[in-house]
Amino acid sequence: MKQVVVHPERCVGCLQCMLACATAHSRSRTLPEAVLESPRPRPRVHVGVGCFDEGFPNRCRHCDPAPCMLACLPGAIYRDAQTNTVLIDTDRCINCASCAMVCPFGVLRYHPDVLAPPDKTVAVKCDNCIARQQKGQIPACVEACRTGALTFEPLDGAMRRKTDAVSRTVSAGRREVPPPAGYALLTTIKHEQVRLRSH
Amino acid sequence: MKKEYIQETIAQDSRLLLRKMEGDAVTTVWERHRDQQPHCGFCEMGLSCRNCVMGPCRIDPFGDGPQQGVCGADANIIVARNLGRMIAAGAASHSDHGRDLVEVLAKVAEGDGSGYQIRDGAKLRRLAAEFGVDVEGREEKQIAADLAYGMQEEYGMRRKSLTLLARAPEKRRRLWDKLNITPRGIDRETSEMMHRTHMGVDNDWQSLLLHGLRNALSDGWGGSMIATEVSDILFGTPSPRPTLSNVGVLKKEQVNIIVHGHNPVVSEMVLLACQSPEMIERAKARGAQGINLAGVCCTGNELLMRHGVAMAGNHLCTELVLGTGAVEMMIVDYQCIMPSIAQVATCYHTRMVSTSDKARFPGMTHREFHPHNAAGLARELVQEAVDNFANRKAVYIPVEPVPAVGGFSVEAIVGALGGTPEPLLDAIKAGKIRGAAGIVGCNNPKITQDHGHVTLTRRLIENDILVVDTGCAAVATAKAGFKVAEAIQYAGPGLKEVCGALQIPPVLHMGSCVDNVRILVLAAALANALQVDISDLPIAGAAPEWYSEKAAAIGAYFVASGVYTVLGPMPPITGSMDVVHLLTQGLEGVVGATFAVEPDPEKAAVLIRERIEAKRKALGL
Amino acid sequence: MATTQHVIIGNGIAGISAAEVLRAGDPDSAITIIGDESETPYCRPMISLVLEGALGPERLPIRGTDYYQQFGITPVLGRRVTAVDTSRREVHINGARPVIYDKLLIASGADPRPVKAEGRDLDNIFYLRHQAHVRGMLAVMPDARKALVLGGGLVGFKAAYGLLRRGIQVTMLIRSGYPLSMQADAEAGRMVLTELRAHGLEVRVGAEVTAFEGGPAVRAAVLSDGSRLACDLVVIGKGVLPSLAFVRRDQIAVDLGIVVDRHMRTTAPDVYAAGDVAEGMDLARGTRWVNAIWPEAVAQGRLAGTNMAGREVAGEGSLGRNVIRIFGLDIMTGGIVDPPADDDGFTVVSALDPRRRTYRKLVFQKNRLVGMVMVNAIEQGGVLLGLIQSRMPVRLPAETLLANGFNYKQLLME
Repeated sequence: MKQVVVHPERCVGCLQCMLACATAHSRSRTLPEAVLESPRPRPRVHVGVGCFDEGFPNRCRHCDPAPCMLACLPGAIYRDAQTNTVLIDTDRCINCASCAMVCPFGVLRYHPDVLAPPDKTVAVKCDNCIARQQKGQIPACVEACRTGALTFEPLDGAMRRKTDAVSRTVSAGRREVPPPAGYALLTTIKHEQVRLRSH
Repeated sequence: MKKEYIQETIAQDSRLLLRKMEGDAVTTVWERHRDQQPHCGFCEMGLSCRNCVMGPCRIDPFGDGPQQGVCGADANIIVARNLGRMIAAGAASHSDHGRDLVEVLAKVAEGDGSGYQIRDGAKLRRLAAEFGVDVEGREEKQIAADLAYGMQEEYGMRRKSLTLLARAPEKRRRLWDKLNITPRGIDRETSEMMHRTHMGVDNDWQSLLLHGLRNALSDGWGGSMIATEVSDILFGTPSPRPTLSNVGVLKKEQVNIIVHGHNPVVSEMVLLACQSPEMIERAKARGAQGINLAGVCCTGNELLMRHGVAMAGNHLCTELVLGTGAVEMMIVDYQCIMPSIAQVATCYHTRMVSTSDKARFPGMTHREFHPHNAAGLARELVQEAVDNFANRKAVYIPVEPVPAVGGFSVEAIVGALGGTPEPLLDAIKAGKIRGAAGIVGCNNPKITQDHGHVTLTRRLIENDILVVDTGCAAVATAKAGFKVAEAIQYAGPGLKEVCGALQIPPVLHMGSCVDNVRILVLAAALANALQVDISDLPIAGAAPEWYSEKAAAIGAYFVASGVYTVLGPMPPITGSMDVVHLLTQGLEGVVGATFAVEPDPEKAAVLIRERIEAKRKALGL
Repeated sequence: MATTQHVIIGNGIAGISAAEVLRAGDPDSAITIIGDESETPYCRPMISLVLEGALGPERLPIRGTDYYQQFGITPVLGRRVTAVDTSRREVHINGARPVIYDKLLIASGADPRPVKAEGRDLDNIFYLRHQAHVRGMLAVMPDARKALVLGGGLVGFKAAYGLLRRGIQVTMLIRSGYPLSMQADAEAGRMVLTELRAHGLEVRVGAEVTAFEGGPAVRAAVLSDGSRLACDLVVIGKGVLPSLAFVRRDQIAVDLGIVVDRHMRTTAPDVYAAGDVAEGMDLARGTRWVNAIWPEAVAQGRLAGTNMAGREVAGEGSLGRNVIRIFGLDIMTGGIVDPPADDDGFTVVSALDPRRRTYRKLVFQKNRLVGMVMVNAIEQGGVLLGLIQSRMPVRLPAETLLANGFNYKQLLME
């Protein structure tokens, strides 16, 4: 089964995934129109900032077992077995924030949403773009990502690539693949600036 | 004190005001900077292009995604185009500022200048001579008219090269000619940069960058230089005078007016109005002890240089000063005025007034200054400020001001040396002064406020390197107490001896950010005296906390003029290592100087010292 | 081999969570659930939402009406257990034959803490614990004008909030200076109090009820300071106590609750306990503690069920946590929110941000996070609570955790 895989070292913090996500969860599904909609479409993926001002696309891991599912008072959170997606039934959701209390990743948000009953504040999080997947599209955040920080692939494939990359760096005659020089330079400067600020 | 405030600024007044304003629920630049994190990596690296609507495009720095824009531009082209436009915007800003002064000069010549006048007739004549204007036996107004006309031509396409380039050493001018980067017209080079960076024009990244240097030179030896020189003619050439700095310059018992922006055309008139006995009487009648005019940012530096008007703070202080609750009115012209500032003012009683037809701000009252109405309008505004004193609520002025000396124009420095640069050259030759560094530029919330300026300055002067500074850097070191004669205690033995004998501080305030050209003029004069090129001199430039496009233009004209320049924050160029290498290494073989990027001022000081020592060695010193 | 007889006392969330895991892990066993409430399993924390009118009572059930049948469970409902005899493996129920168990789970929950006051038996004096209590209140609410709520803890607070939202005038009697003193610190408590008062709540601090007057319904309450307060509806919300009157202390170790180990085992063989009645290791305090909250009841029930099914799994312990929304305030708290002032083993950092109307407080013990309070902007609260639960040393500066932009990524950079 394909799923969204996050490669944090490749996130440049451009926030494109957030825009694409909000647009994908809007009525019109186009950015110019989406920004005019009410309720305002909002992203399910959140680019958080790391300790060195670097980006990190934080999204629901669809944990199994999912703490949010177990803690949900009205039993509104459930799992779609086919896509292994933890979903929220917005009709049942009572906006109690119990899910935020138990989510160790901080991915829940609370607001009115185009997919929820009108004027009702509900818990909102990543739904793996199930609606898009049903139409043969990949999740919007992955489609928007230009640096490969978000990919849509079977997890074992991604794991194997990562394992290979790690083993290459430790094997004899290693061929370490350095990050691009310009990106490494920028990162160095940003680390230096953060170090200086916290002198 | 919260660690946050300590990380944000080294200035005690800023820290205390930050704490106070957080309590007032006021959002400041630091808060907004945090909210912007993470910055977009494409933009930080210069890899996004919005120049046409086949795009916008971006290049994947990791190499898997797109490596060309829709038009086919690669990372080199996109980074070079973006940097070119950055320089163009900076050059345009300085040069347009200069244009406004030339317009006032022309109005004065026509006799339509209201309160403006020629204050430095000698300088008018000197400059007129440089422009080939006949000065013998003619009245000032006639000379001014011809000079203004000549300067207006500098902006156009009548020249093959800019007039004031003649001040540069001949070797340098020949080099510019050889590289085909001699600037021809001030507006022309900016306009051509916009043309070249249009889709489908200049797609050779090196050629683009070379034009970037030419564009920057059109600012340094053109627009900015005209701005400084005409300001001197109209408002007087600065000479050393005592002043005060930091937010403590605001006075609890007086009506406080702050001028903010860059152009002395407005602030000079406000100063005159503040000094009028009628206004002072009005203030007293309303329970104030007088009227206190202070500056922030570079229009403050303009007044400081010529009149010793006190300076309340630099770029990142501009919101904070309002948090004192002691400012009756802030009058702004243009550049570096954060659009947030009127929103800050709504939390206090401060009235915010914009004055330039080209710079309007949400929440400000717009009262447009023109030469014909300037004097009257300034009086009206000061009167309204005085009347606003009654609306004052709680006042918080948490610090005492720090004394400083400003006003070191090239004329003043040469004057202090006894009329010739020889004593300075002798001190450099003797090794008492190892060299000189120009520390310039802004504040940037990426860097702890003033930490870059103050640390670098301290390290350089203690190693016998004379520091000249301008703009927000100059305000930072004034607040830190480096701009008084007694500051020689921080200097190395040689610099201490020389400055002590001349009774000058080891850090000389040379003015606002357009006044960086004073540094160029000084460097050219030293090179000419030694009969070498600027790039041969034991000097360097630094912009430890730069943020603006103007600073990008300044850095580029420093380097193109042969001055090695160390930047604090990284410009958006890391998307192309070819561009990085050219700017930080390759330019050495082209213009005899390069950029360096070093956010740590301690390390920047080492770079500058090494450069200066290498240059001394090459000169046989 | 005979079928294993699993008996579960309590049909609250701990009991049914255990039963479900047990059924999955031990499909052939017999499961009996004894519960004193006869409704299908419902969500207890949501009854206050029915009181305030946000939900209808039909929204309370969290399992279907055929739940017991579906899971092959024998329900014994509407009965209270009178005794457990571990030597004979018997559970005694009022007016029925003892039930024999092979493995027993005590998930009997908690009962409201009673008040001693004359006239306690008058009409219109309620607890807020069972669905039936809310039904009772709703029935008399049309005629209620002036309500009195005893206690400023979670229950008292929810009662007061619900009644206020129904437009009833409410007076709250609290012992400490602010409501939710067990969950929140003084600063957050003060913010809650201000918010409630802004919406019309009257709060009397330091007073207790000595007697109720009226007949048959309550008409007034007499307070310890001698004053008399007119009221026609009273809610007793002075917290809960583990429901363990039926437990023989000589057979099962009891402290405040039933003492359990990391497998939810009590000191008696084959007897487990979970939920509001159990007292296990508290992750923040490092000592045993009763954390009577819904998510812990779920987790403990599942853990007990897993172990009863024969799979030995140890839990780390529990953590007291709460999240509450009142009018314009969201509050999330967890762990030790108010360490003793004279104990210098704790470090407390806090940040009040008037610009965002947020307040955050973190309590550290050495370099471990052991407590937190958040008012508004609570989305990242789970990350902090997860940090408390993991007991990992925190190397980030405390300011980073306090900052508005704190997020999960920053933990990765440690």
